[in-house]
Amino acid sequence: MKDLARLRTSLKEEIEIALNGQVKTEAEASSKYLAMASWCDRNGYEKCAGYLYKQSEEEREHMMKIFKFISDMGGTAITPEVPAVQLEFPSFKNVFEVALENEIAVTLSVNRIVGKCRREDDYATESFMMGFVKEQMEEEENARRALELFDLIEETSTGKFVLDKEIAKIGNE
Amino acid sequence: MNQIKSYPYQIEELYRNTKGCTYQCDLTNRVVLQFGAYVSAFKFHDFRSFCQKVNSVNIHEMIFNLSDEYDFQAIQTPSCQQTYRLSLCELVQLRDLLNGTKFTLELNSLLHERIYSVNA
Repeated sequence: MKDLARLRTSLKEEIEIALNGQVKTEAEASSKYLAMASWCDRNGYEKCAGYLYKQSEEEREHMMKIFKFISDMGGTAITPEVPAVQLEFPSFKNVFEVALENEIAVTLSVNRIVGKCRREDDYATESFMMGFVKEQMEEEENARRALELFDLIEETSTGKFVLDKEIAKIGNE
Repeated sequence: MNQIKSYPYQIEELYRNTKGCTYQCDLTNRVVLQFGAYVSAFKFHDFRSFCQKVNSVNIHEMIFNLSDEYDFQAIQTPSCQQTYRLSLCELVQLRDLLNGTKFTLELNSLLHERIYSVNA
């Protein structure tokens, strides 16, 4: 009797479910950044809005990368449902506090998948996910740097103007 | 080797319960499900999606919700253009059949990996 499971895909079901979960996480992250960008735009932080739009685009790229990987490995990639996200923020600084929390959540989720891959001896997916581990180190560093800038620059009216400009430069220097 | 009326090829039994039976067709690489009057042939990944659909039905809701729409569940088969209309008991039996089949397929996969594989 043929091994139908392996003929079609080398992805184990548990790994496929976890990867589809990550697709959803990345889609949510993209949506959250979009909401933050919209808030910044509405409140005059034009440069930061641009930075956050870019972040949103990056998260979507991650989502597409995983989505494509599932399909390429013969699995079933599921288009994610994205729930409603937070649209209002109490302050400029809070936007970046929430951004850091989200990045930490994404990192933990990526780490859990790598752990699962190791338990299931799925080295192909592990190697694929290692790219995201590195990416998350960078993303978290950027989010932390944004909060550091709030400690360095006082949130006075000109301070806010400078913060807007400086945060937008993160990752480009 | 078995054969069922509405399926033209030779097939091997994977799992059976009181309501139905599943088979594997090595010629078409399909999992054939015979459940009551329904007969469907799934590609492997469609079979997996169908299992997930059936397993995700909220049985508690079906038991405790008294409105008519919860008496039956309509579940569409992926790529097969068929809809299963299932009562609570049928749903439980179908779950048993699908999960039993999944177990057999995984066991077969494991045997291939550990025993039949040349470099094992």
